[in-house]
Amino acid sequence: MKKLLLTALLSTLSAASAATLVFGGNGEPVSLESGNITDGISILVQRQIYDTLVDFEDGTTNLKPGLATKWTANANNTAWTFSLRKGVRFHDGSAMNADAVIFNLSRWWDKSHPYGFRDQGRTFEIVGELLGGYKGDATAVIKNIVKVDEYTVRVDLNKPSSVLPDVLAAGYFGIASPTAIKKDGAKYGTPASKPVGTGPFIFQSWRTGDRVTLLPNKLYWGEKAKVDQLVIRSIKDASQRLNELKAGTIDFANDLTPDSLKSVQGDKNLVAVKRPSFNVGFLSLNNRNQYLKNDKVRQAISMAINKKEIANAFWNGLGTSNASFLPPVLAWANSSKVPADYKFDPAAAKKMLADAGYPNGFSIDLWYMPVSRPYFPTPKPIAEAIAADLSAIGVKVNLKTEDWAKYLQDRNKEPGFDMYMIGWTGDYGDPDNFYGAYYGANASDDINWNPANVETLLQQGRAAATQAAKAKVYQQLHEITYNAAYRIPMVHSNPLAAARSYVKGWTPSPLGSEPFNTISVPGKK
Amino acid sequence: MGSYLIRRLARTLLVMLGISLVVFVFVRSIPGDPAVAMLGERATPAAAAALREQLGLNKPWFFNPANPLDAQYPKYITALVRGDLGTGLKSNIPVLDDLKSRFPATAELSVAALLVALIVGMPAGILAALRRNSIWDNLATTISLLGVSMPVFWLGLLLSYFFGVKLGILPPSGRLGTEFDIAPLTGFNVLDALLRGQPAAAWDAVRHLILPAIALGSIPLAIVARITRSSMLDVLNQDYVRTARAKGLTERTVTTKHALRNALLPVVTVIGLQAGALLGGAVLTETIFSWPGLGSWVYDAISQRDYPIIQGGVIFAALVVSVVNLLVDLSYAALDPRIQYS
Repeated sequence: MKKLLLTALLSTLSAASAATLVFGGNGEPVSLESGNITDGISILVQRQIYDTLVDFEDGTTNLKPGLATKWTANANNTAWTFSLRKGVRFHDGSAMNADAVIFNLSRWWDKSHPYGFRDQGRTFEIVGELLGGYKGDATAVIKNIVKVDEYTVRVDLNKPSSVLPDVLAAGYFGIASPTAIKKDGAKYGTPASKPVGTGPFIFQSWRTGDRVTLLPNKLYWGEKAKVDQLVIRSIKDASQRLNELKAGTIDFANDLTPDSLKSVQGDKNLVAVKRPSFNVGFLSLNNRNQYLKNDKVRQAISMAINKKEIANAFWNGLGTSNASFLPPVLAWANSSKVPADYKFDPAAAKKMLADAGYPNGFSIDLWYMPVSRPYFPTPKPIAEAIAADLSAIGVKVNLKTEDWAKYLQDRNKEPGFDMYMIGWTGDYGDPDNFYGAYYGANASDDINWNPANVETLLQQGRAAATQAAKAKVYQQLHEITYNAAYRIPMVHSNPLAAARSYVKGWTPSPLGSEPFNTISVPGKK
Repeated sequence: MGSYLIRRLARTLLVMLGISLVVFVFVRSIPGDPAVAMLGERATPAAAAALREQLGLNKPWFFNPANPLDAQYPKYITALVRGDLGTGLKSNIPVLDDLKSRFPATAELSVAALLVALIVGMPAGILAALRRNSIWDNLATTISLLGVSMPVFWLGLLLSYFFGVKLGILPPSGRLGTEFDIAPLTGFNVLDALLRGQPAAAWDAVRHLILPAIALGSIPLAIVARITRSSMLDVLNQDYVRTARAKGLTERTVTTKHALRNALLPVVTVIGLQAGALLGGAVLTETIFSWPGLGSWVYDAISQRDYPIIQGGVIFAALVVSVVNLLVDLSYAALDPRIQYS
């Protein structure tokens, strides 16, 4: 018995002596196969295993070299050439070169690729979303992928795009080892496989529903990891992530609720970390509604809601309200002709409503989300606050909600919702990723408003080569969408994260996740 | 006995077939579209339609006039007969693989919860019956009432915060400390750790089990205590117990040898019924305690409308409940010699 206890003690001590970094994730990754994911936690884990062609500078959405050291476009942005980093190897020892990059891009984009495993359920839907479609589709951005030489790849486009490098920098598109994909076949990316990239951490194990364990890549071409092991735990419940942080069983975590801020700040062992805002929570107003199709009604509604007060009350200082659909980091694309903040003036709003022919107001439905998101962490009380503001000008609001999957479906089904809460978190640092998601030809059909000039401007924005040229285009879009008031931005929130006080070197990205190779845990017991 | 078993197994098979049909129709009848759920906020009608086609969800449910077998149910049932439950729509993980890795976690937790219920509930019920109207009886009744009426999620959060954060004596959630890793053999962490010679990991796994087992076991505990009490009271008033006492047997012998065995029958029935309740209760407990079992997995699949996972999870849960009830029925014969199966 004594021997048994001694063995137990020794194994505990030896296990504890290694520097293990433990992250509390908000769930389990759906898949570790790059190109075939859309959820945040899969991206976060993949960012540790894979590198993307182009990367983001720490804490920003500015681009920096990744597996490509240089990327250049032709004169009209219809072909992008990527020069690849030499001497980089995948974790399985195979070479990262033009063939490997083309293998990855092709299996995402070409529906007939033999290693796309589409007959076994692969969908790669994010490619359709961010790159307009797949090989042969009339809407597809990519026309062809060409090997120029061993370390140069050219991507030819069907239409001009200045954002291709930004899109390929998004965490969805890590470059995986073709050897590993061929070896694991359709199991690649599942817990029964071994995902292989070139990133700072090497996959070790995935215990379903529980954790993913990674080891440092000692041969990493960039900044090497500073811990001996990285464990990413699946802790779905936000209050439980906070409990685990307080108990010291995890070192850092994302996506805590704004009302946890005081609790984190009151704990001397914890440090509150405000992730830079890269989202927008907004109200959508449906043009099919007899009242909302009136410009003055929508403007009156916008003016009657005290957005600043709502942001203060429900985000605990972790959210700002302004008159832009774009988060603050993209403020360069805002127009100076649009006021920085929405005017809150219930009296003027009431008068505007009377001018529109509704002096006694009217009754309308407001749908609120049944789930919590960083842009609307507590949708119901926020909806109640909006309803209270609108009742002050005579608009009676009926609050409604339903199951999330049905909510997402019904908003696009005619006649849709009168008015509903929704939001967006960006994938990469270009205004197109925000405006393009909710305006124009590729957007939701929820507001029944898609004027030709908006689509034209979106196309121009995608083609514009410089930030100055883009700014000119998006400033016009800002003015048009602000005056139209079909989508009323309510907040840009700073998702709350927290870490134990000994965690050093963590620079949260606005995009929601970042590689953890910069983090160390000196003094962790 | 042999023919009885065969009949029961054949009936179970028919039940499974019926359940496969019901769950197939049911999941497709609830509003909400898997393609839209997969795309989330970015779901546009065109993107959802394209994805639905890729996933084969645009095909008829039962019969395709152009190609009779190219419909969703025939494909599903044909695969099911081969033991293929399909793959998760989002994850592409075979449902069977997920079941294999997640069921042991739920089973381990359910067994622990049942142990909590039996170890605490039965003695409490016996004590309450033997000391009727005493302080022990009142205490046991109050605890049962609390157990039945306290919501599991609330109790779970309370236990996690109090013992995990405030006192810091047990882990707030999870199945195993990050300093340990146990390569699965049976999937039961405690057992696997012992089999692999990792006693420290086994102890850590036990520590992780305690709080979720108490939370999940709270309702069965209360029910077991109440049933044991009433059953014991009933038996203690029987003539044969009076005869045993008149013979001069000690109270301990009367209770353990004569009364308890007969009082156990209803308790065993309740345990069988609780197997289903434990699987249901596991949904909340597993979510609160980040327990990687079936409950949280199926719950997520329902919100995502992941049809293959919901179907596989429900059919498997039904199979488990059927098997547990069969075992319960068989145990009657062991407890009561008057019962024989033929």
